Amino acid sequence: MSSMSTTTLRHVTGVARGAAVLIVCAAVLLPVYWMIATAIQRPATTLLYPPPLLPIEFVPDGFINIFRDLPLLSWLRNSAVLAGIATVITTVLSVFGAYTLSALDWPGKALFGALLLLTQMMPEAIIVVPAFQLYNDLGLLQSLAALSLLHAAFVLPIGIWILRSAFDAVPREVADAARIDGCGHLGVLARVILPLAAPAIAAVAIVAFFASWGEYLFATTMISQTEKYPASVGLATLISQLDTPVSELLAGGLVYALPPVVLYMIIQRFMIAGLTAGAVKG
Amino acid sequence: MTAEAVPVVGTSRRGGTRRVPPSRRRHGVRLAFALALPILAYEAVFVLYPLVRGGMMSLESTRLGSRTSEFVGLDNYRRLLRDDAFWGSLTTTVTYAALVVALAVGFGLCTALLVNRKFRGRTVARSVLTLPWAFPEIATVLIFIWMMNPSFGLVKLLTSWIPWLDRDIGWFTSSPFALISIVMISVWKNFPFYSIVLLAALQTVPAELHEAAKVEGANAVQRFRYVTLPALRPVLLLLSMLAFVFAFRQFTLIWLTTGGGPGRDTETLVISIYNRAFKFFEYGYAAAIGVAGLLVTLTVAIAFLVVNRRLERKAAR
Repeated sequence: MSSMSTTTLRHVTGVARGAAVLIVCAAVLLPVYWMIATAIQRPATTLLYPPPLLPIEFVPDGFINIFRDLPLLSWLRNSAVLAGIATVITTVLSVFGAYTLSALDWPGKALFGALLLLTQMMPEAIIVVPAFQLYNDLGLLQSLAALSLLHAAFVLPIGIWILRSAFDAVPREVADAARIDGCGHLGVLARVILPLAAPAIAAVAIVAFFASWGEYLFATTMISQTEKYPASVGLATLISQLDTPVSELLAGGLVYALPPVVLYMIIQRFMIAGLTAGAVKG
Repeated sequence: MTAEAVPVVGTSRRGGTRRVPPSRRRHGVRLAFALALPILAYEAVFVLYPLVRGGMMSLESTRLGSRTSEFVGLDNYRRLLRDDAFWGSLTTTVTYAALVVALAVGFGLCTALLVNRKFRGRTVARSVLTLPWAFPEIATVLIFIWMMNPSFGLVKLLTSWIPWLDRDIGWFTSSPFALISIVMISVWKNFPFYSIVLLAALQTVPAELHEAAKVEGANAVQRFRYVTLPALRPVLLLLSMLAFVFAFRQFTLIWLTTGGGPGRDTETLVISIYNRAFKFFEYGYAAAIGVAGLLVTLTVAIAFLVVNRRLERKAAR
């Protein structure tokens, strides 16, 4: 009898949990659903109130028109250049930094770590004016490559910290064995640690890509020529202009959100494994 | 235990020095400098130098139109201390940050607990719950501006089903809804990150502890209170600090929705720096606000580090 009621209780908890998961997922997905549902309507339909909760039309006009009316394609290309450079720089320098913090003993290590932490805390807005003046002096305004350097500088600390815990999780015996076999520091790094920390490296690359692809403050400050806009700045200017139909605007937003979302879906498993790397060892 | 299981910030878990021959160690030191130097140089150019330049700017008075600036000493800071707008935006920043920390980390914890146990469709649920993290901020802004549109928005329809609520709320233009709106948007965008990290931390809570507590007759709430929560405490503390720093740094989600308004209702320090610099061209004063903001962030961070160290020591004992 008592075992029976325990089973029932477990069943009830299971159903309650399932319901909770469904409700929370629906709440989180609602904005994304509404974005898609609006993007596939005709402009006139989007101005109905109350809005139809299910899309009543499936028109691709928004997606076609935004590419026709605006240089969205080159904005996306600019974003790709920007995020690509920032990702490469961040990933390479994160490997260096994490290795010095994880595997090497040297005076100044603690200071180095503290300095990185300080950078991590810094609101971008504090340095946006001096950075603007610096770029202005050096003639680097309007340069996507120069802007990406600034992006990388702000993700680098977090990249180093993610990789450092992953490097820490590589068993010491494995690294020592390789060393006895005649590997130098860099040999151990390249042949032992990097392959084992691959998911974490992927995680760092993704974090850097997301950060640069989405960054707005520095981008809008440094880039003022329409054809040089990254997609974040280009789309943001449309918000205040109010002359783009909402279905077009949201279609543009969806296209812009697609690369990171798809990328995330593909390597999500790695991502969680990579961020967990340090935790497994305990 | 896994006190610093979280990747983002952490103190070294490997205390001891590796036993290596002196020559190799010297080589290690050289290598460390060789690897760290490019990073230091890089951060020095792109973060430290602008920061120092900003600090110097805060001692100057720069006016619109004139290319010269004069040294005014601590005048900008004196003005800051007497400026109600500054104290107002400091309060706004702290309020906004505290709300986002509590809600985003709290919701992150709830969702992590929800999908921690195995069930059918768990992988899908995890992907869905972490999706907003991959969603860029500008896309987030676009969709929420549309959803919260006072004439045609979905939120207007949803709130019209709540009888005691006014139908025509300007979600970004009326007090206190503007603040509530930016908090909600920030939570939606940011909770997944905390959820992922907490999910990772939950994997490290030993199952035997739960079993033992179950044998002792502890119910689910007690097991959470006495087993899960103590194990998560260091991670939760760390994430709260991180969430505070992120909230403090937040610009895009606020600037493009409320722009700091209505009035100065949602003008956080970061927004007021931007306004001072690019609307009123008071570069010196903007820089002074920036320095003050950095001091606030640092104070909070140091407080966190002290508490964290104390907890670690207690755990080690």
